[in-house]
Amino acid sequence: MTEILKIDSVSKHFGGLMAINDVSFSIIEGETLGLMGPNGAGKTTLVNMITGKYLADSGNIQFMGHDITRMPAYRRCKLGISRTYQIPRPFPELTALMSVVVSALYGKDRANQSLEDAATEATHYLEFCGLFSKRNVLGKDLTLYELRGLELARALATTPKLIFVDEVMAGLNPDEAYKAVRLLERAKEEFGVTILWIEHVMAALMQAAQRVVVLHYGQKICEGLPQDVANDPYVIECYLGSCHV
Amino acid sequence: MELEIKREKLVLRVGTQKYEWHIEPRYWRNPFIYVGILILVPIAVYFLYPQWLPTVIDANLLAAIAIPLGWMTIGTGRMNFGPQFYIGVGGFTAALCSINLGWPPFVTLLMAILAGLIFGLLMSPLSIIAGGLYYTLLTLLFPLVFLEITFIYTDLFKGDTGLFGIAQMVNVGHFTVNQFLICLMSLFMMLLYMFIVDKIMRSKFAASMAAINDDEEVAEAMGVNVKKIKIISFTIPAVMIAVIGWFYAHYYGTFSGVTYLPLAFMVKVLLVSMIGGRVQIYGNVIGGYFIVILELFLSSVLGEYSQVVFPIILLILLLTLPEGLFGLYRKRRYREYLPTLHVRR
Repeated sequence: MTEILKIDSVSKHFGGLMAINDVSFSIIEGETLGLMGPNGAGKTTLVNMITGKYLADSGNIQFMGHDITRMPAYRRCKLGISRTYQIPRPFPELTALMSVVVSALYGKDRANQSLEDAATEATHYLEFCGLFSKRNVLGKDLTLYELRGLELARALATTPKLIFVDEVMAGLNPDEAYKAVRLLERAKEEFGVTILWIEHVMAALMQAAQRVVVLHYGQKICEGLPQDVANDPYVIECYLGSCHV
Repeated sequence: MELEIKREKLVLRVGTQKYEWHIEPRYWRNPFIYVGILILVPIAVYFLYPQWLPTVIDANLLAAIAIPLGWMTIGTGRMNFGPQFYIGVGGFTAALCSINLGWPPFVTLLMAILAGLIFGLLMSPLSIIAGGLYYTLLTLLFPLVFLEITFIYTDLFKGDTGLFGIAQMVNVGHFTVNQFLICLMSLFMMLLYMFIVDKIMRSKFAASMAAINDDEEVAEAMGVNVKKIKIISFTIPAVMIAVIGWFYAHYYGTFSGVTYLPLAFMVKVLLVSMIGGRVQIYGNVIGGYFIVILELFLSSVLGEYSQVVFPIILLILLLTLPEGLFGLYRKRRYREYLPTLHVRR
């Protein structure tokens, strides 16, 4: 059981607002860790801090033995950290294929990789996500479900060790949501990635995650097995209201 | 070396290398035809209408400014409204070195490149710090500030009159032949720029530029070193534009801020870029020739009214051709497997 990511007392504030306050936890290699919390709990901010969009005000983030606390986002990606976005952010003027080509080219350093090599590799990831037939469609013309697939293909093409999946089921119908969850499971099996999954849909997380961390008002309030977390009175209180940290 | 026609293909064998061209017109390598026509233009003009040679030189140089500007726009994901600043940098460096130090054009070229590199590097962080309208306004401001400086330091830059007595680029003792040679040089420069930028736009470097152009933050999250790409995409085009400034200085033998630094010149360059094909490199050439010929035609037919009609025609073209003149051609013959880049802003 190797720790792939270790977050140690990280904090982040925006002006007077404490978005993340002294949060610590770690992710074990190969597991699916769920990150839960009501709206505004600081889940996406935490992911932004780990992926490099925001720098932590204090604390320390270690990824596979490297201190990445002050590292720029692109170098974190090259180390093996990738992400999808809560609201899909495709490259609108690039085709699905070219969007994935960018990740394949710049994700992990590969020796002597040409544009054509990257296109071949990108085709594989598009096929995996069921988007091969849409390879020549511009990002702006894809549907929400296809965009979720494209985001995953793009993230996988960087050959990551750890993927942050931000609310993959948001806006999808039950059938599409089921397919999206299956896709994540397959990605884990085939590519051996570790997943940190932010989700509001509790049922999905209870099934897929081995452990769950709960945030509330920027603080970690609970960590443990999904069943234990779901039955924790403090977590229930936070979700149903009348909880103040 | 062996040349043969085989299964509708022209096959050229040089040693162990083999080159093939489809001879069916729809498979013709378009750049070859394109470059061939461009080389024929100055030759035809020289023999038929030598008085039009300066117009062709103008068109070539405008296109040569617009081509690196297109690279700069795509690579930084922002529209630079002050390309003429670098023309000023290159032109004044060449002029001052030539007049005050008596250096020949090829030495002043090195100095213009150096000056372009220094100013390009100094200005390049702007593409990281400033975004959108702020970047546009700041880049718009630099040439105007430079223009004011040329008035403040009149002793050095000679304000309104400009610097004169710059060494000529070529002088064979015959005016028309001089013009023809300069025309060929301007064409060579434009083709060289087109070749360089075309190579870059087909490389993997272009994929990162396209990603930056669409969404910088996502591009960085996918492993693209956004700052590095932006600085390269800003500095090298700045140097390329500065070299055009050097060309202007040694072509006319004079160089003044009021000719190149005001907004009017910038508008012309941007129109070449937009009318030609929204930062499409081949479109810039079409745009350059179109704008210069239209301007010449209207001023000879309509006289002073052309100042009103010219912008109206351009405005109509901007509104009716969202992808510029080159877009008309591309849409009919769109068959690329790997898509070309589009500019959003």
